Amino acid sequence: MSTPTDDQDVYSIETSGLTKVFAKKRHRGILGFLRRETEKEKSKNEKTDALTLALDHVNLKVRAGELFGLLGPNGAGKTTLVKCLATILIPDEGTAAVNGYDVMKETTMVRASIGLVVGGERTLYWKLTARDNLMYFASLYKMPRAEAKKRVNEILEIMNLRDRADERLEDYSTGMRQKVAIARALLHNPPVLLLDEPTLGLDPTFSRQIRSQIRDLCRNQGKTILLATHYMYEADELCDRVAIINNGQIAAVDSPNRLKAMVREKELVEITCVNPPLGIEAELRALCPKVEIVMLVQGDEATARPARIKMMGEEAEESVGTVIDALRKKRVQITSLNVGMPTLEDVFIKLTGGAKLTEGTENEKERHEAE
Amino acid sequence: MTQSSLGTNLFVVWNEVKKNIKFLLAYPIVFVFWGIFPIFWFIPFILQGEALVGGLSSQAFAQIAGTPDFVPFVVIGSVLNSYVLSSLYGMGESIRREAYQGTLDYVLASPCNKAYILIGKAVSESLTSTIFAVSQLAISILFFGIELTVGVIAPILFILILLVLGLYGIALMLAALSLRFKQAHDLAHTLEYVFYLFSPVRYPVESLPFWAQLLGKLLPLTYALIAVRALLLLKQGLSAVYVEILVLLVLDVALILVGFYMFNWMENKTKKSGMISQY
Repeated sequence: MSTPTDDQDVYSIETSGLTKVFAKKRHRGILGFLRRETEKEKSKNEKTDALTLALDHVNLKVRAGELFGLLGPNGAGKTTLVKCLATILIPDEGTAAVNGYDVMKETTMVRASIGLVVGGERTLYWKLTARDNLMYFASLYKMPRAEAKKRVNEILEIMNLRDRADERLEDYSTGMRQKVAIARALLHNPPVLLLDEPTLGLDPTFSRQIRSQIRDLCRNQGKTILLATHYMYEADELCDRVAIINNGQIAAVDSPNRLKAMVREKELVEITCVNPPLGIEAELRALCPKVEIVMLVQGDEATARPARIKMMGEEAEESVGTVIDALRKKRVQITSLNVGMPTLEDVFIKLTGGAKLTEGTENEKERHEAE
Repeated sequence: MTQSSLGTNLFVVWNEVKKNIKFLLAYPIVFVFWGIFPIFWFIPFILQGEALVGGLSSQAFAQIAGTPDFVPFVVIGSVLNSYVLSSLYGMGESIRREAYQGTLDYVLASPCNKAYILIGKAVSESLTSTIFAVSQLAISILFFGIELTVGVIAPILFILILLVLGLYGIALMLAALSLRFKQAHDLAHTLEYVFYLFSPVRYPVESLPFWAQLLGKLLPLTYALIAVRALLLLKQGLSAVYVEILVLLVLDVALILVGFYMFNWMENKTKKSGMISQY
């Protein structure tokens, strides 16, 4: 789908019909190889089934200086899109340009224009110090030695890492390592930042610091930022516009407020409860056949986050009594009831027809509240 | 973006070397390995030879090798072979380690020419091989009476550089295979024995059957060993080994070109398949 943007705008990121297909890796090892050989004889349709459409004709336009969110659950295609833009993956169809450069034909210029941060534990050399890591990557960005040294000192100061710059990263906390990862992305002062789950696995304090830095990089330094996240509140809090992505397709693109307005007209109910039994979702659906979406969002034992029952559409509010009665009969403890306050999560549920959210998505509200 | 210059490219090579050396030094156990392994590597062959012929020289050996003393012969084979080992295992393992550490994406997403990163990896491997080689030579000079005159050092280094360049080409091919198949270690292990069997590391090339001699002629190590032994044991000059030098030059160019082509091809292929950062 096309995005609502003004043609007068200057775009830092543009994709048109971007498509990426992966072969499903069902077979591994020598036995898998032998099995695959046998499967070669099977029909063409079966071969098509063995492909995963990671990106399905994605059209996006991100304005220069915009903080643009890419919101979707794990496996939605966010990382694939970021990697295609970062020239780490080669798309199968379509075109993409970053800072005006074609990602397939002008790779060197694209690479010089972007700073890349991918969430996760290991993206740096843990046996090296923060300074060594940054000096190494500065050299990969063609900085002369003297300039690299100066810039590394500057960036260590900005990121508040100077005191521990000469310690190995293996002695850093996860949050500090993520700060080094962001410092690396900023080394060459790129106009475009591609941030893929930059707060993944961080505690609330570091998450807040990182989010504050992201906001500052966009608002005060004029960077264009593509922020891929599955934390709904992060996208809501930070982004000028958000694209909701699911199964490799862009379901909607707009500002968080306008996206939420899409579901504001609808009746919305959220019931927070503890340990709902398996099968309750189907039971509740049967009890409320006129409610468009009845969905159980699973809780998270690690953080003791309770599960939520989301109801959306006509007669959702009228059905609250029926649902509460059904839950009480099952001895499910209800901890809160929220009526009529849409979040991006509700938008996501509406647009994807109630696609299952990931554990991380469920936790993010709690994270946000804790912060 | 800063334009590439010789300075910025050399800075990439230097930082790559520095990074790899720091990785090595982060594990102190490596010093024990460096101290002991060179001795373990070639002393058994010398003792075996001594047991077979009842001394450190043999006339039968002289008839095919041109020198009766098999200790210097084996030492030269062992020293040069250590460069083969580091080239076969080093670069591929380094690429695999980058993928394992999660840094490969970032290295590939940087705008510098990847050739300089690969050169840096190769140079750091050569440095560790040189430590190995110097240890072996020192032991040989101290305990086995090997003579190394100042005059032959420069010609030997020249041959060594020619050998190492060709080995870099093979290392690039293995690094390319590491990108795609992730585990190139077993292939490197097989190739190690191909070199060991078909090149005159422990025995003269004349000991091999004719077909095996032909296979040996495809390997740069064969020509480097013949040349270094001619310089060091037979006291000949560079002009006496010009054929070996020419063949080494041709092999170097061919192997490096094929190596870079294969690496770029495999990089593109894995970027298409999405396997680039898997390990």
